[in-house]
Amino acid sequence: MKNEIIEIRWHGRGGQGAVTSAELTAMAAIHEGKFAQAFPSFGPERRGAPVLAFNRIRYDRPVRERSGITLPDVVVVLDPGLVTLIDVTEGLKPGGTLIVNSTRSVEDLQQNFDGDWKLAVVDAGSIARKLLGVNIVNTTMLGALIKATGLIKFESLHEPLEERFGARAKSNFEACKLAAENTVLSQITTGGLKTRRSFAVEKLAKWQELPIGCVVKEAGNTRSFCTGDWKSQHPEWDDKKCIKCGICYIYCPEGCIKQQKDGFFRADMFFCKGCGICAQECWTQAISMVEEA
Amino acid sequence: MEALSIYVPKLVTPKEYIASGHRACSGCGEVLAVRYVCKALSRNTIISNATGCMEIISSQLPQTAWEVPWIHTLFENAAAVASGIESGLKARKRKYGYDKEIKVVAMGGDGGTADIGLQALSGAMERGHDFIYVCYDNEAYMNTGIQRSSETPFGASTTTAPSGKVSIGQHTWKKNMAAIAAAHDIPYVATSCSSYPFDIMYKIEKAMKIKGPSYIHILAVCPTGWRCPSNATIRVGRLAVESGVFPIYEIENGKYTLNLDYPKLRPVADYLKSQGRFRHLTEENVAVIQEKVLEEYNRIKTLSHMRKKSK
Repeated sequence: MKNEIIEIRWHGRGGQGAVTSAELTAMAAIHEGKFAQAFPSFGPERRGAPVLAFNRIRYDRPVRERSGITLPDVVVVLDPGLVTLIDVTEGLKPGGTLIVNSTRSVEDLQQNFDGDWKLAVVDAGSIARKLLGVNIVNTTMLGALIKATGLIKFESLHEPLEERFGARAKSNFEACKLAAENTVLSQITTGGLKTRRSFAVEKLAKWQELPIGCVVKEAGNTRSFCTGDWKSQHPEWDDKKCIKCGICYIYCPEGCIKQQKDGFFRADMFFCKGCGICAQECWTQAISMVEEA
Repeated sequence: MEALSIYVPKLVTPKEYIASGHRACSGCGEVLAVRYVCKALSRNTIISNATGCMEIISSQLPQTAWEVPWIHTLFENAAAVASGIESGLKARKRKYGYDKEIKVVAMGGDGGTADIGLQALSGAMERGHDFIYVCYDNEAYMNTGIQRSSETPFGASTTTAPSGKVSIGQHTWKKNMAAIAAAHDIPYVATSCSSYPFDIMYKIEKAMKIKGPSYIHILAVCPTGWRCPSNATIRVGRLAVESGVFPIYEIENGKYTLNLDYPKLRPVADYLKSQGRFRHLTEENVAVIQEKVLEEYNRIKTLSHMRKKSK
């Protein structure tokens, strides 16, 4: 076991600090004399889009591997919304560990997964809000990682946190400790409700069937791209207060708010990124932003 | 202008020329400005777009958010490509009797306009091509991660002009692109801000009617780079205008008009406090900025009043 490479995958959203988490983990491991890598993976998408970060940690020898990680031993989910949105357990090895930031109970979350994994749940969001004043859970989730896997020690986090956050290192460290205390561990077994996604190779198309490269055939075809899963909160309309002025419609950067036949406005949740401009600008305060479950 | 914005759906076209599903950050002020510009331009346009945020968020192969003819160009040659298109259209009209009225529009960010593309823009304006140049100014190279540009205001902290013990961040003043464009003696120069949709649409419609080059400089709020909450986009843009940091005016054949004139401006501290990039500024720094802002605002105000007197 000691010779094996431990691979971690971090799921977060742009701006939440998954990349920082991975870097801090690697720095702490290196501080302990282990060998480690940290690298992110994201497209050109922006703040709010799902991003991935990875770690490789080895006890006794340098890590020579430079490829991407497809079969991680540990998966950490920073954003509660991602659990229902994407298959966070994709490729997670049997016997691996899944660490989730969620306000939901362990029993409730177990329904979402199917496999032989260890599940650790912590409400990192409220810890971060309480101790750091912001809903950025990257350092808080490190505590849950330490509790669930014991890969690194608390003491070795001191120096990386100091280097990264300076004066704010102390509160981040406290958040980390508190998260470790509040992490609930449990075991998931196969035979749950959801069937796992299969990884069968798709049937390859013949050359005659391939589309012409580098040609966009349809104008405005980003309409098929869902940006709605970036949001951490969504707008809700109170039609009693609405005066149908359309200020939300004109100020929506996505252009996803439309007037319905009855004259009231609604946003298309397929595109809404949850920026909150409509709620901020509404004259009669008919729009309120509601946190995603 | 503000009173107009009630009952919006009756005043603007419901047609969107930049489709939803683009990859802009949540709360992006720049894509908001593009949305207004495209609404005003409508279908008969050809857009030449310089590299920058607007280009990468809208055109990820195999997808595009544009529903108007659109060409991706490099940072430096958006205006040059627009000149070529305009000349091509002119030649088609002359040789083949092509009679459709098509407006050529070049778009760029502040880096593509004020730094890298300035030479091509200056050339195109000097040659007098019939086109509109729209600059979306978010005051840094936000696309690549908030590097300073010549449009970054004094005192702003960016990744290449960071604030710290020795430096206050950017230590040069914002380049006055509208004045540079006006110095070319072109028929129409205007400034606007992403928080004023009807002002943008009014100015684009005006520029479309003008023969010859026109330049429109739009301040586009960038919550990511300016370090403000994503729901504050409209509010911060409004503060920039109300505090006089970014006056909204137009120059028609050398005649200045201050579109939004405030007898009493808000203190610039209100605007600076709304953003994290100015967080480190001391009271002395703010006083220096306040003085400079008032000086510039009064210069434009005097110019626009002189015109009224002489009439």
